[in-house]
Amino acid sequence: MTRIRTNRWQRAAGALAALALVAGACGGDDDAADAPADEPAEAPAEEPAEDPAEEPAEAPAEEPAEEPADEVEVTQDGGILAAVQARGVLNCGVSGAAVAFSYTDADGSMNGIDADYCRAVAAAVLGDADAVEFTSLTAAERFTAVQTGAVDVLMRNSTWTQSRDTEVGMDFGPTTYYDGQQLMARASDDFTGQSSVEEIDGAIVCTNAGTTTETNISELAAELGISITLNTFDDYDQVTDAFIAGTCDVITTDGSGLVGRKAVQEPEDQSWVIFPATPISKEPLGPVYAQNDSQWADVVNWTVYATLIADENGVTSADVDDALAGEFGAEMVRLLGGEGEKQTFMGLSADAFYNVISQVGNYQEIWDANLTPVGLDRTGSANALWTDGGLMYPPPAR
Amino acid sequence: MTDTTIDTAPPEAPLPSPVRWVRDNLFSSVSNTVQTVAFTAVLLGLLRWVLGLVFADESNWVSVATNMRLLFTYNYPAEQFVRIWFAAGVLFVAVGASFAAWNINPSITLRRIGVSLMGTGGITLVVALITPSATPSGLRTAMWVLGVALVVIAAVVLRVIPEPHRRRVPFLGLLIGVSAIVCAIMWFVPFGDYGFSEGEPTAADGIVASSTRVPWTVLFIIMIATYVAGRGLAQVVSLAPLRRAMIAWWVIGPAFIVFMVLRDPEFDWAHIWSTDLPMAAGFALGGGALIYLLAAPGRSDLARVLGAIVAAAAVFNWVAAFFGWYPMLQKARFSFALAAIAILLVPNFAGERSARLRVAAVWAGFMVVFHWLLTGINTASTLDITAPPFLGGFVLTVSIAYYVMLASFPLGVLLSLARTSKLPIFRVLSTTYIEVVRGVPLITVLFFFSIMLPLFLPSGMGISDLAAVFAGYTVFSAAYMAENIRGGLQSVRRGQYEAADALGLTTVQRTSLIVLPQALRVSIPNLVGQAIATFKETSLIAIVGGFDLLRIANSTIPNQPDFLGQKRPALLFISLVYFVVAYTMSRASRNLENRLQAGQAR
Repeated sequence: MTRIRTNRWQRAAGALAALALVAGACGGDDDAADAPADEPAEAPAEEPAEDPAEEPAEAPAEEPAEEPADEVEVTQDGGILAAVQARGVLNCGVSGAAVAFSYTDADGSMNGIDADYCRAVAAAVLGDADAVEFTSLTAAERFTAVQTGAVDVLMRNSTWTQSRDTEVGMDFGPTTYYDGQQLMARASDDFTGQSSVEEIDGAIVCTNAGTTTETNISELAAELGISITLNTFDDYDQVTDAFIAGTCDVITTDGSGLVGRKAVQEPEDQSWVIFPATPISKEPLGPVYAQNDSQWADVVNWTVYATLIADENGVTSADVDDALAGEFGAEMVRLLGGEGEKQTFMGLSADAFYNVISQVGNYQEIWDANLTPVGLDRTGSANALWTDGGLMYPPPAR
Repeated sequence: MTDTTIDTAPPEAPLPSPVRWVRDNLFSSVSNTVQTVAFTAVLLGLLRWVLGLVFADESNWVSVATNMRLLFTYNYPAEQFVRIWFAAGVLFVAVGASFAAWNINPSITLRRIGVSLMGTGGITLVVALITPSATPSGLRTAMWVLGVALVVIAAVVLRVIPEPHRRRVPFLGLLIGVSAIVCAIMWFVPFGDYGFSEGEPTAADGIVASSTRVPWTVLFIIMIATYVAGRGLAQVVSLAPLRRAMIAWWVIGPAFIVFMVLRDPEFDWAHIWSTDLPMAAGFALGGGALIYLLAAPGRSDLARVLGAIVAAAAVFNWVAAFFGWYPMLQKARFSFALAAIAILLVPNFAGERSARLRVAAVWAGFMVVFHWLLTGINTASTLDITAPPFLGGFVLTVSIAYYVMLASFPLGVLLSLARTSKLPIFRVLSTTYIEVVRGVPLITVLFFFSIMLPLFLPSGMGISDLAAVFAGYTVFSAAYMAENIRGGLQSVRRGQYEAADALGLTTVQRTSLIVLPQALRVSIPNLVGQAIATFKETSLIAIVGGFDLLRIANSTIPNQPDFLGQKRPALLFISLVYFVVAYTMSRASRNLENRLQAGQAR
């Protein structure tokens, strides 16, 4: 009897040791304090018999290949630019579910103005607009992804605000799209494109819950002394459905969103109008990257500027070669890598922006491909070039 | 026939006349009549409401038809689709072979078929009658024709053919019939051909694209051929090895498909020959030999000492990894940890030569598969995917569900055994684990694993989002699995344990040969219920970053410029997909219960 009991306790001890081992394997930090002291000498001595291949000497070279590809990257001395060039692929954070900005098409490709700017940066850094891996990020995880280096650059229709720029570890690049909150109502309710916000007095206003749009409209209503009923929904499809059904008089969100909805979802028997002409909030959207890496910031910023300068000079992807030959002036020659180019100072190849314009296009081309189809008109908006009365004002390339 | 099939279906009574049936079952009393009328009205109202959603003007079904590719494989590159079809082909072969190996041969009476046809035809007619006016007239006409045709066929089967309740259609006939119907629908019904090219949806009238219908037809033919071949094979060879092979395949095969076929690792052969292969061979053969030697009777103390030393070394490896002291391949660390566990457990498997050889062989096989999979997973993929990971849509839903079930089953069995163990330390640990995990919402566990876990890992070790989600799910699912199995364990009577002890069986033998088979059989309904729940709960991956069916239907499709706001059709469609899979699982479990309880009346 005693023998049996000992046996059982021995077994229990063995199994317990196994469990302790599992625990040790899972949470290395707990054992850190006491375990290593007596082991180091005996570990290498014990193993060779069992495993001929395990040799510390040869391991260092193999280690990087061993790690999973999507591991969080630590920014090294070379900065993000060197990391991207070494990797050969740009990790770009996008929304993946924002019409006209970044969305997944039925063939699995990522499209939209944000996706195109990811391609532009890849073309500038790597010479290949397709050398991008897109990561779809939710609103909650987007900034963490930038801070941890999971993405090299974030192109996710994120508004540039003081708090985001200063509080968390990231910087904002030049604005690629000036958005602003607007309202949409039915023409049959006597609204026109020239209506003012005061005219919505007494209306039922709908928007999605927990966003700045909700705060903006209620603050404005209080300021103007008008009374509105604010109904909020979880997502914008529900808001639009309620508007179509007539349970909302006015809906409000960023102008780009309203235009897209109007272009695609306006029923034939309704006529929707978007007002006021001047948006009630400022929403500058642009690239976001980790802070304190000026070289990488320069690369991203000047990629955006390059598309705007090419637009200023009327150079499209079709006539980059003519522009490089000098037909569009000396600035374009410099920008496209001809005589006097400045790209090599930034750590890029001389033809970096040639690749951007030829593979992705200038700002107007990117606009036409992504924003025109959903009914967004560039003429007369803040997104027009400064020469046309807009806010797009790239610094000179010289 | 090497196996005997026991026909347990009770003899079916002849069918009463429809009028008689209706009077007996629906209008037999006043209260019965009232209930029939009231519930019919409610059902028709509900059906009408669903049909209203399906056929409403705002529901643009082109959005679903165009996005079939996204919904099923997400952004898997089109030029590599042959891999998906190959994987599907392997699965179909495995299904056919498994049916043959387990001699699953459920014949079905003509009467059952007739009643099903009658029901389907009746429902089709009702749907045709109450569809909203928005329904295209061609579709409505088609529904009328189909409904009438089904009812007529059913009437012929039930009334004209003599004794339909005695005539049985063999399983092969059923398989061929269903496959033929599915293929015929694909080849003849003008669904239209919806595609996407050059950034624009394309639509053409006619039948579905040949790139869809041809592979599916081939798949069905392959499945039927495998079944026939398997049945033939079963006549000449014994079924036991075939079954063992199929079990091994169902455990390893899906991993092979996902990581080797679908992911297509770009193996660095020089590195494999110089490092990976010797290492795997060393662990497999060295460890196997060690286990064989230590399993000899009388060497249990040596095994424990050696196990403790290896365990200490393995722990040191991990500590060293945490501080980055000396580099070592991650899989070597894992292998050491596993070797330590195996050596510590060896005394429990002590026995004769053949038993020891078997244990050693299991270890060697496990190591080979383990190293092969880890190497494949850690090698870059050749796939050209713009937005990783390579799994998405239905493929992701099914893969995660399958692996969670596969991995949480052994874990659940161990936990339940530990919880019913006599040793207090096991009981307390297992109970704590189960209660903690069951007390926490699944989404919290998933957030913990996808956001917190990477922070706790030693430096130089990363974990992909999907792996983290999979780990979280498994941890969660195992706790529930353990409780389901514990219910089964408690149904095994005391006498079974005593009888096993009286025969002189060891604890391992008693548990694996006597207790668990009985406990698991009792647990089947609960386990399948949990499998169904796991399958549906995979939709929570959408919240932690995966692109499963739900996320694609809920946020990807409604944000395409062509289908802005088109959420409803996609959500209705994925509801149908979830329902079909879950219902199939539930039917399969019912068949399994019937089979296992055959000749087992207590």
